[in-house]
Amino acid sequence: MAELGFHWPSLLVYLVNFTLLLAILYVVGYKPILRILNQRTERIRGSLEEAEQIRAESEARQEEMKRELDQARQEGQVLITQARELADRYRDEERQKAKVEAEAFLTRARSDIERERDNAIEEVRQQFADLAMTAAERVVERSLDKDAHREVIEKVLQESSKIGGNG
Amino acid sequence: MPKSTAKSLVVVAGLGIGLLFVVGFLSGAIVRGTDNALLDKPEIHLQPVPILESDAKFVEEEHKLPNRFVLTNTLLSSWIATAILIVLFFFATRRMSLVPRGLQNFTEAIIGAMYDFVVSVAGDRNARRFFPFFATIFLFVLVNAWLGLLPIYQALGFIKDGAMERHLLRPAGTDLNMPLALALVSFVFVEFWAIRILGLGYFGKFFRFGGLLRVRSMSGLFQTAIDIFVGLLELLSELVRVVSFTFRLFGNMTAGEILLLVTAFLVPFVFSLPFYGLELLVGFIQALIFAGLTLVFVTIAIVPHEGEDHG
Repeated sequence: MAELGFHWPSLLVYLVNFTLLLAILYVVGYKPILRILNQRTERIRGSLEEAEQIRAESEARQEEMKRELDQARQEGQVLITQARELADRYRDEERQKAKVEAEAFLTRARSDIERERDNAIEEVRQQFADLAMTAAERVVERSLDKDAHREVIEKVLQESSKIGGNG
Repeated sequence: MPKSTAKSLVVVAGLGIGLLFVVGFLSGAIVRGTDNALLDKPEIHLQPVPILESDAKFVEEEHKLPNRFVLTNTLLSSWIATAILIVLFFFATRRMSLVPRGLQNFTEAIIGAMYDFVVSVAGDRNARRFFPFFATIFLFVLVNAWLGLLPIYQALGFIKDGAMERHLLRPAGTDLNMPLALALVSFVFVEFWAIRILGLGYFGKFFRFGGLLRVRSMSGLFQTAIDIFVGLLELLSELVRVVSFTFRLFGNMTAGEILLLVTAFLVPFVFSLPFYGLELLVGFIQALIFAGLTLVFVTIAIVPHEGEDHG
């Protein structure tokens, strides 16, 4: 072995040398580099997760917005329907009211007309009675019992009104 | 640059290289003989050469190194390699930032690639345990091998009577003690983790005498004998691994060194260039083999063998 160069003190020095190199490189090189590689990996992973989270949140928000929009649309539709119904109902009510008022007005007008007519007839009858009496007084030219006279005339008039009512 | 200029540059460079090759061929040992060649006849020393004059005299007289610490050219080279690695990592990690730049980027790329390799072999859980050792072996062997390819290694030395008597530097891989030290450290590393993870049950892989208690028949006895033999073979292979590790690296590095010396001696210019390329590759491959095999062995060693239950 000595011919090949085996020399135990050198071997020992190489062993110590290598062990020291291992220790120093571990502290100065591998540890900090592996730490920063790890940190970078974590950072990238974190960023990716964050991006994924933001994407998910954005999707959820979009979904929510869509849902809210749909809901608003539905609510709007309901409101429109309600408004339409309300309008229909109001229109019907108003129409009904107008109809009732018109009928009331018509009825009142009719009764007014009837009353006016009755009054007119009564007045005409009165005038006619007076006129008839005056005429009868003048024709007969004699004074009769006034009450008996009136009774006759009333009778005549009643008969005439019967005739007028039928007519 | 215009295409024609580039083309003419290539032609001129090619002619220059060709001329250098011819000059090298004519001045090399092939044409002028081993004694009149441009370069001195390479002296192959398997033993590391002391740097100090007194130690060199001792070696000259006794034909062996003194039985104490001797500063040899290979040891000095290994210290330079160690210093380069420490300085490189020191400056690379001095001001680290999450966005890497320059030297930090360079070392991170190397460490990252090595770490991924360790994870692919040993798995995520064991990678942190084994990585520092794997990386140090790889980098140490690689830097030592590549340092030896620098022209300065052949140029620096002590000259006596007009000839290079002792080189100041020599690749540490060509010193048997360096591969042996790494092989021993690798052996201890593998056994340490195996015992730490599997406990004393790890030795059950080598000493399989438990089967003797369960022998019921002749065939069972035969089976147990084979089992015991295989266990002892495993033990032997575990120990022989130190030798194979040592001589694989030592042999490759020494052969590379000799190859470069001889090619430069035969044809001083150009001819040895492809061999330098080859040695760059060999250095990388040897570093990967040494570190990779250690990693594979420790990964295998921490797996409980059949019949054991270590969870």
